[in-house]
Amino acid sequence: MLDATFNLSTTTTPRAFNGHTSIYLPVIATIEDVQVESKLEKVYDVRLPGGENLGHSPGQFVMVSLPGVGEAPISVMSSPSRTHDTFRLCIRNAGDLTNVIHKLERGDRVGIRGPFGRGFPIEVFKGKDVLIAAGGLGIAPARSLIDQIIDNRADFGRLIILYGARNPSELLFRDAMAEWEERDDVEALVTVDRADDTWLGHVGVITRLFEHIQINPYHTVAITVGPPIMYRFVVMELSGKGLTPEQIWMSFERRMKCGVGKCGHCQVNHRYACQEGPAWTYAEALAFEEAL
Amino acid sequence: MQLISHSGLATWLDHLAQETTLIAPRNVDGVLLYRPVQSSGDIVWDFVRPVLSVKEAFFPATERVLTIEKTGQQIRLNETVPDGERVIFGVRSCDARGFLAMDALFANTEPVDVYYTTRRENTALIGLSCNEMGETCFCTSTGGAPDDPTGMDLMLTEVDDGYAIQVITEKGAALLPEITLQELAGEIPQPVLNDPVPFPPMEAWPPQFNDAYWADMAERCLSCRICAYVCPTCRCFDVRDEPLPAENGSQHFERIRCWDSCAGEVYRQIAGGHNPRAAKGDRMRNRFFCKFYYYPEQYGPVACTGCGRCVDACPVNIDITEVMHAVQRLAEVEP
Repeated sequence: MLDATFNLSTTTTPRAFNGHTSIYLPVIATIEDVQVESKLEKVYDVRLPGGENLGHSPGQFVMVSLPGVGEAPISVMSSPSRTHDTFRLCIRNAGDLTNVIHKLERGDRVGIRGPFGRGFPIEVFKGKDVLIAAGGLGIAPARSLIDQIIDNRADFGRLIILYGARNPSELLFRDAMAEWEERDDVEALVTVDRADDTWLGHVGVITRLFEHIQINPYHTVAITVGPPIMYRFVVMELSGKGLTPEQIWMSFERRMKCGVGKCGHCQVNHRYACQEGPAWTYAEALAFEEAL
Repeated sequence: MQLISHSGLATWLDHLAQETTLIAPRNVDGVLLYRPVQSSGDIVWDFVRPVLSVKEAFFPATERVLTIEKTGQQIRLNETVPDGERVIFGVRSCDARGFLAMDALFANTEPVDVYYTTRRENTALIGLSCNEMGETCFCTSTGGAPDDPTGMDLMLTEVDDGYAIQVITEKGAALLPEITLQELAGEIPQPVLNDPVPFPPMEAWPPQFNDAYWADMAERCLSCRICAYVCPTCRCFDVRDEPLPAENGSQHFERIRCWDSCAGEVYRQIAGGHNPRAAKGDRMRNRFFCKFYYYPEQYGPVACTGCGRCVDACPVNIDITEVMHAVQRLAEVEP
């Protein structure tokens, strides 16, 4: 199974490379819409020149740049099923570049390179129960996968979404979550590390949600996206429920500087997260040191 | 093989300096570097190796990749691909061997890095054999030799009456002076070699990953990254934007890439501040694993040419040959 899935690489040909000689040359895209998602996150609808479809797969990322500020990797939030002439990014105000991005408005321009990397092999997930465990901002790349599954619901078995945030004010996509809770073909559970007066739901780290679900280990794939510290504990829970390392996928979101397998920053041993990742199975991750 | 006299060589190099950009070992404020020269008189002849490898002529320490012009909401980008033909004279075998590793990544792995490949295509390399190995040299232990012509277009070796010229490529043949050269009488002298150091095979490395050796060895590391800067094969880089003088109400910037190193503290830091390779021992271990295990695993060539620069440059005497000894010893104890 390992080899079969490993070869399912998605496009790694950089878009900006087509027709250009420089692999570092972005295209100039336009921000079509900005929505405030939380105190720290905003959601951007980005339009490529001519409204070209980004053509990504869930789990891939783009390099976003601003003149004079720099460039950073950002996971794509929108699913391919909901990406037409714009694609969507959820960006946390957490550094020099994202601080300036947060000041951008509709009509402003950004540089885009990508999509890059190997996303989640959604074809392999078809017919199986899919469990997605997302922590914090990890829900943004997870959205790409979740919406893709919801929009092709009949192709998959159960869809179980576990989502954890530090506190209720940091919960993202409350509207989408309300929709998931309404549906009888989605099982969504949300928890916060620390509750406040407004919170009536689960309290505790994301792994606490596992006691509320039953899964069929022979028929399930699990995908986890979030802070690295979370992976170790989520993997323990999933293993405890009988999933093999080949059934567990995770995203290794490193701070890529080039996105095209040259700069070295995202390397995990002899593998580039920007080329062969960021989506890797736990089995693959176990084969190299210091991945987790 | 042909022979060129000392004066014939000087005339030829003067001619090349007139015709094209000639780069050669030159004294720059007391530091020996590969730099453009105006005439053969600028060239330093008696040297072990320049302080920085010839890598910087192909992958400069800081290099502009784009210019960016912002006027209101409009953004204009220009790629700044290098042009101009060059000849580099006095290239050491260890430095040319570094191209095996650099080419594997930048030129032979898709997508191709046009900044690097353009310079490679536009540049001819005239090698100069070492008569003897420097004190910290160990090229013979990493597959090279002081007179190894790998990667060169022409290879020169000093003999009694001048220099023996070995033609390696057509590009090199096209550079040869138009004067008739004498045939070399006798043999080319063999270089004086240092004792080899152990070269642990690839399979010797992974079992030592969790050994306490790495933390011990790296304890004195200052994370200054000079080892990567002088290395002919280290090729990690950072990308950043810098302002240029503004014009006519528009803002100008350049996007540059500059050398970076896995020995640096924030090299591996990821979003949210987490750093999967924060400890010094882990970072230094990565440096050596990259050279002797990851790079060969990923691309084929070993990412060390035995030039010995990092041994000379390290302010706290971290010695790559000691690491090779140590890994060899560990592998023998615990194969």
